[in-house]
Order: sequence, then structure tokens, then C-alpha cells
Amino acid sequence: MPVINTHDPERQEVVSRRTFLFGGGVSLLFVGITGRLYQLQIADYDKYQDLAQDNQFNRRVLTPLRGEIIDRFGNVLASNRKNFRILLIPEQSRDINATLDKVSEYIPVSDEKRARIIREIRRRGAFAPVEIKNNLSWPDFSRVNFELPHLAGILPDVGETRDYPLGEASAFVIGYVGAVTDRDLAAQDGNEGRTLLRQPGFKVGRDGLERTYEKELRGQAGKMNVKINAHGRVIEEFTEQATLPVQGKTLTLTIDAELQQAAMKELEGESAAAVVMDTVTGDILVMASTPAFNPNDFNVGIDAGLWKSLTESPYKPLLNKPLSGVYPPGSTFKVVSAIAAQEAGVKTSQTAHCTGKIWYGNRYFHCWKRGGHGTLDMKGAIKHSCDVYFYEIAKKLEIDVLADAARKFGLGQTYELGVPGQKKGIIPDRAWKRQYFAGQPENQSWFQGETLSVIIGQGYVTSTPLQLCVMAARIASGRAVRPRLVRAVGDLVLPEPSAPLIDIDHDYLKVVRAGMNAVTNEYGTASRSRLEDPNWQLAGKTGTSQVYRITTEDRAKGLAKPEDLPWERRDHALFVCYMPYENPRYACSVVVEHGIGGARVAGPKAREIMRAVAAKNPAARIPVDPRNLVQRATTKREG
Amino acid sequence: MSSLILPGPRRGVRERFAQLHWPLIILLTMIAGVGVITLYSVAEGNWRPWSLRHGLRYLVALSVLIAIGMVAIRHWMTLSYPIYFAALLALAATPFIGEINMGARRWIEFGGMQFQPSEAMKIGLVMALARYYHGLRAEQVSHILYLIPPALMIGAPVGLVFIQPDLGTALLLAATGIIIVFVAGLSWRIGMIGVVGAVAAGYSAYRFEFLKTYQIERILTFLNPDRDPLGQGYHLLQSKIALGSGGLDGKGFMNGTQSQLKFLPEMQTDFIFTIFGEEFGFVGAVGLLILYLAVILTGLSIAMSAKSHFARLAVIGVVATFALYVLINTGMVMGLAPVVGVPLPLVSYGGTVMLTIMAGFGLVMSAHVHRDQDVLRSSDLL
Repeated sequence: MPVINTHDPERQEVVSRRTFLFGGGVSLLFVGITGRLYQLQIADYDKYQDLAQDNQFNRRVLTPLRGEIIDRFGNVLASNRKNFRILLIPEQSRDINATLDKVSEYIPVSDEKRARIIREIRRRGAFAPVEIKNNLSWPDFSRVNFELPHLAGILPDVGETRDYPLGEASAFVIGYVGAVTDRDLAAQDGNEGRTLLRQPGFKVGRDGLERTYEKELRGQAGKMNVKINAHGRVIEEFTEQATLPVQGKTLTLTIDAELQQAAMKELEGESAAAVVMDTVTGDILVMASTPAFNPNDFNVGIDAGLWKSLTESPYKPLLNKPLSGVYPPGSTFKVVSAIAAQEAGVKTSQTAHCTGKIWYGNRYFHCWKRGGHGTLDMKGAIKHSCDVYFYEIAKKLEIDVLADAARKFGLGQTYELGVPGQKKGIIPDRAWKRQYFAGQPENQSWFQGETLSVIIGQGYVTSTPLQLCVMAARIASGRAVRPRLVRAVGDLVLPEPSAPLIDIDHDYLKVVRAGMNAVTNEYGTASRSRLEDPNWQLAGKTGTSQVYRITTEDRAKGLAKPEDLPWERRDHALFVCYMPYENPRYACSVVVEHGIGGARVAGPKAREIMRAVAAKNPAARIPVDPRNLVQRATTKREG
Repeated sequence: MSSLILPGPRRGVRERFAQLHWPLIILLTMIAGVGVITLYSVAEGNWRPWSLRHGLRYLVALSVLIAIGMVAIRHWMTLSYPIYFAALLALAATPFIGEINMGARRWIEFGGMQFQPSEAMKIGLVMALARYYHGLRAEQVSHILYLIPPALMIGAPVGLVFIQPDLGTALLLAATGIIIVFVAGLSWRIGMIGVVGAVAAGYSAYRFEFLKTYQIERILTFLNPDRDPLGQGYHLLQSKIALGSGGLDGKGFMNGTQSQLKFLPEMQTDFIFTIFGEEFGFVGAVGLLILYLAVILTGLSIAMSAKSHFARLAVIGVVATFALYVLINTGMVMGLAPVVGVPLPLVSYGGTVMLTIMAGFGLVMSAHVHRDQDVLRSSDLL
């Protein structure tokens, strides 16, 4: 094994040279690294500084509280309450489905809901938080908070949701709020406005006053810079430079919540409507409709089953009956018929003899009382609601005169209430018929026989419960009272609508008022609806409007009484009234769909509602001062 | 064996201790100190879980360094091949007995301790190559026949590490080996052929899907970081933002907003340079780079002054590994190299790498302390 001396100058020289080269190369690379550092930290410092700021700081839109809606005495009809919810920020979740699976371990997320969340994410992009579930109970909410480190992209949040303490009772007055749609976004101008609409769970007014006064109720968004970490969690809030959101304006209504609830209770179980208004100011105190939906169910996204039952019910719980329900006014219409008759020159002392029916044209016109009323004057005809008396007048009455009187007393028109969906109803006259039968020239001319139907509130004529209440109020006051629902927007008190004297001879009203008084207080058709308190003498008029005419064949089958008919064919029951008789202040109308008898069903309900109104006498109480309200709302928010 | 060793001055332990290259130890300690304070900051001002352990591990590793440094270089040369083959055996066994960690088998349990054969191989390969070239004459180095053993010596561990799969370490081993072969005197002509071959191999690896999807992802992301802002490129972008926003003098100790707000992953390991650069700015980062360069140049000067060929090449191999770590890691966090998961030596948290580095510098130290000793070579090395 030969041993060689390691001394090998050539080899050592190469290694030295190469080591030098290697050292030089490494040094050069270090210079390169330093150059890159220089580029990042010195040359591009501003750029990365900005990016770092963007990373850390995020501008948050502060959602304003929606304005409250209160009744005339300051009772809350719509406000906001805390809503514990969990949001998902798609950008921060590595795998949306995995995250949702994980969340489902604590809070069930249905497949349907999951599909909706994923759709929402596609629509709104990766950076917009999407609501996974709201209205969580505190235990559920805190459990999610506890598990948060394992739930990437999940953001627990305390939001605000609309709260309607009266539930069903305020449904139709207030309406409800719902989720923002693409159409809302398209209609909204301004980036900031759109950003606000994109806030998770943001709601806009969908119906009723919530919809009409959306702009006033929404309020103004605030802005705040927050410091966030890589998970989007807020580390620090810069409250000092923040623009705080401004709560929406408070709507003060004319409604009396207490009476509204009393009326709803009175109508419970029926498909019915009731309106009570102040005959002097036009303030609507009660606007009740049964059955009603609960607007709180709509807030949080309505359940499909509930929605189906609401739309399919024959009692039409989604129909705002006082404003959108149209019914033949029946005998309640006779109060304007009596005015029209006097306009046409009929004296109140003129009598007619009722035998239960008269022959006109080619058929009999029946009185509701088969045996007849005997001889009656005008007051007696109103008191007993004699049809034949009015048939006799109708034979010679010009329909346009009748229609004109009806309009003067508030029928056939809509009012500025702020609640969408109001119906006009029909007050037929010659012009109306021409237009209505535009395609059928042979049917365009008015037949006098049709006047006989209209004069007792049947035939073409239809009206809404609101219009009937206005009619009663105008009979009572002699003024063209106009109803209103909103007393103040924010601290701005709206002026009372003007109520000029109605353009007729006011002597004509005397017989109508006396007749209505007789209906309840002199053993007329609705003596059961009498109020015993002499200070609150109630004057009213019954109405029973035919939905289905019992035919000869029906009678042959033994169907004589309305109770024998199926519900949807029974007559509507109506009642209009005002009080006190001497110095009127309140008017009321009640319509009970298919209630059969105005005197038997509608009258007593109106009486009970008016009894409650009399007991409280809201017009004599000082209403809330809207100028003090803004303060109240702010204080409440901070506390 | 003793007949192979030239008689040199025999010194006592105390004498050898005094002969240690203290400036080098101070430099290494300063770098480890940077690690301790940065890890303290990453933990939001806590000694736990990283900072304290990092410091303690350094002290252990430093004693290992000193111990190795006091042993004569000739003994290390004797142990070169045994160490290399032991490491190779362990590497070959890893796929069967190793622990799966993050989808790769890299660790094996050894006497209750976790042990990474690829780390041992970093030293084993350096020693084996140095040992091999120690026995060659100058004219033999570029002879094609004498290139086959080093090619196998490099290729075997690189292949085994690659299939673990650990692309970063495989590249690091290959690069270290090539540097040693180059410094040993490989002719430029063969060198160029090798470079062309490597490029072709890399391309075919990409074409024929030798690389795992995430490895391709990393390379593609490196080539175009904006490709996937929330995937791999996201980390790189965040790293650049953190470094860039540090500016000239940094945001101050413990004030690195980007890193403190967890915009960066693996802050205690791969991205620690970013945190340091964000908090101490250009001044601090360049300072750290100067410390590293000083270590490297000190190492090279030790290599130059060593008498034995083995010592020279072993030292260069250790220094090359160290330099590659630094360059790849810093290049990676600044977007100059792919994100391959290479730690920053002595600063990144991690015991095995630290021990490897310090053991390597133990060899450097031994070369320094015993610089005047030469070792005979035998002609029948193979």
C-alpha cells in the first residue's frame, strides 16, 4: 500500500483559486440579496407601506338603526332588537363546504339553506360577508364563538333586526321589511348607498309604511376604520375618527295601539275589517284586518310552509281588507241615497208603502223584510232600512246625482295614507258604464232598473271599509274629512288635512243623522248595537250585502236561510256608525266577510270597538310630541 | 491507521480550547441571538414557546461544536465514510420506518429522539466528498472515471431525499455536492456539460410529472406570484409587504404589524427573516446579512489556511451548505427563489437543523484548531 505525500501544490492551487471564486460568488449573491432588500424596503417603501395599511385597515360601514314607528301616544309599533347571527366571509374560508359542515356540527344548516348561501356568495363575491343563520339563541351563539378558532371564515356578529311588538295587530298598518334584492340594488344610486344595502342581513321596507317611508326610516350609514388581522377579525376600532350612523326618522302614527289591539281581538275568528277615525282631524285610530300575518315572521326570512298557508287561506290573511278589500256597501249606502234623494227634490216627509216587493221593468225587487214595512217616511226608511222606499225614489232618480253624492261623502276614491295597495271601489254612473262596457255598445246605456240596485248598495257599487268609515265621518261632521295615518315624520308634524264643508244643503244631513240615531236608539235595525252611556250616544247604519242570490231552485232544495249556504256564498255583514250623536267625534266601519247580517254580526262588533274608544276617548288626550322623540331614540341607543 | 498520520505537535485540551476560533463562535452566537429575540417577538413578547428553547438548544449545539472542534481533523476524516454510509442507510430506511409529517416521511425515531437522516446526510456527504478528493491527484479530478464515484455519492442521497419527498433538501444536497466537486478542481468544460444536463433533467422532471403538484405549484407561483393571491403567492406577497413596509429602520421591536397580525404563515421558521426585516428595517436586515457573510468568509479563510486537503474541502462544504441556506431562505422570502421550505440557519426555530449547522461548524473549528496537521493519503482509497 504505497503512501503518497499529500503535498500536491497543483491541487492546492486549484482549490485556493476555486475557493476564492466561490467566496466571490457568494459575496456577489449577498450583494444581490441586499439590492433586493433595498428595492423592497427603500425604493418601494411607499408602495408596501400602503399595501400594509390596506392589509390592516378596513373601512367598515356602520349600519344605521332603522327609525322606529310609534303610535299617537308613543307606544312602539316597530323597533329594533339585537339579533345574534353568524356570518361567513368566503375569502377567509379555504373550503366553503367544509366550513359549513363544521358549522353544522353546532348549528344545523339545511341543504336548502346551504344552496342559498352558496348562491349568495356567487352573487356577492368573495369579500362580502354572507349571513349563515340569524336569530340564534345565546347558547348557540356562544358555542360558535367558543369554536371559532376551528371555523375559518366564520364571523359572529350582533346585528339588529326589526321587531314588531304588536305582531299581527300592526301587520297591515306598518307592513314589513325584507331582504335586499337585485332590483333594490339597481334602483339605489350612490356607491355608499349600495354598500349599505350590501351589508349582511340588511333589510328594506317591503310593504306598508315600511315601504313607503323607506327613505326616512333607513337613516344614514356611518363609517369607521378598523384594524383587522389576517383572519379579518377586528383588532382595534378607531372610534374617534368615525362617522357615526344616524338612526332613521321616527314615524309617529295616528293609530292608537291599545284600541287597535282591542279591535283585532273583537274581530278575531272572522275574516273582517274595522276602521275607526276621528271625525274632526281625520286621524285613523284603528285600522284592523283579520286574519293577519305576523310581520316578525317576514323579517327573518319566511318559512315556505307558512307562506303557502298564508297565500292559500280563503280568509286572505295577506289582504289589507280596510284599504284593499272591496265590498258592496249594501244598506249602509242608503245614507248617501237619502242625501241624493233630497238633492233631487224628494222631501223627507214623502212616504212610501212597502209590501215587501215592487214590480219594476220586468221583475220584482224585494225588500229584505219579506212581509213589508208598511208606510214609512225617509227617517223611518233609514231606521228600518226599507228597500222598497228607496226603490220608489230610484225610479225617478238620476244615477249621476246619486253617484255625485256618494263621491262627496268619500266613496269611490283613495286617500293619501302612505300604505300601498289602496282600492278605489266603484261608484257607477253613466260615464263609468260607457267606459266599463267599452267593447259592448249594446250594454253601454244606463237602465233605470240598475239605479234600483245601486240605491240600496248592490249591483255595481263597491267600496272599502276605509271609505265607509270616511262616509260615516262626513255624515257626522258635514265636512269633507280626509283620513290620515302618519302624524309626524321625525320631528316634523304634518299639517292636518283640510276638511271644508261639504257642498250640499246641510239640512239634508238632519234626516240621515236622525235615521241613524233611530237605527240604534229607537228600536231600528240595530238596537242591539246601542251604547247605554248617554254621553256616547251611538248612531249607526246596518248593511247586508248580497254575495249570492238564492235562486228558486235553491229554495226548492230547502236552501232558504243564508246559514244553509257555504261560507263563501253567504252575505257580507256591514255596519257604519259615529258617536256621540250630538257632538260627533268618532266614526267607525266594520265589515265581516260572509258574516250574513249587519245587525246581527257587524253591529255588535262595531259597538264593542266604539265602547273601547269611548272609554279611552283618545282625541281628548294629549298625543306624544314628535319633537321630543329624536332625543328619546338616541338616548335609548346609547344606553 | 496511525502510520498514515504525520507526526505533529500534540497539545493538551486546555491549549486546544484556547486555540478555538473565538471570533467565529461570537459571530454564530450573535446570529443565534437574533433568532432568540425575533422568536420572542413572534410569540408576541413571550419566551415561550420558541425563544427560550431556541437559546437553550443553541447552547447545547455550541457545546457539540466545541467538542467536535477539539477532536483532531484526522479522526473525522477516518469517520467520513462510516458516517456517510450510516446516514445513507438511515435515509434508505426512512420510507419504511419514518414518521409521516406534512405528507412526507422525513423523520425516524431513534432512541426516543426524532432524527432526520437527511440532516445527517448534509454533513455526511460533505465529509465523504472531501475524503474522496483528499485521495485524488490534481489531474485525476477531471478524469471521467474519477467522476463516477462522486456522482453516485451525490446522486444516491439526493434521490432518496427527493422521493421522501423533500425537494428543498434534495436541491440543497445536490448543490452542496456540486460546489465541492467544483472547488476540488473539476474542469470548466465538464462543468458546463453538467449544467446543461441539469437543466434538461429539470425540464423533463416537470414534463413527466416527477414533481408533486404542490412542488410544481410552488415553482409556478414563484414565477408569477399574482397567479393565485390567496394560495402560495399570498404568503410571498404578504412577506414582501411586511418587509417593504419595514422601511429603512423598521417598525421597531415587537411592532411588526404584518407579522403580529398573522398575515404570515410559519413565522417562527421559514418566514422569520421577514419578521426581523419588518421590525428592524433595512439597517437590521443588512446587519444580519453582514453577520452571515462574515461567518462565510471566516469559514473560507479557515479553509484556505488548513494544511490537509480533506479539511479544506470539508470546511468549504460546510460553508457552502450554510451559504445556500441563507441565500435560498432570504431569496425565498423576498420573491427571488421559490418557497421551498428552507430555514434561516440559527435564526429559524428548529433543533435538527441547528444541530446540523453547528456540528458542521464543529468540523470547521476542528480544521482551524488542527490547521497545521496534514494527513497522508493512501493510493487505494477505492
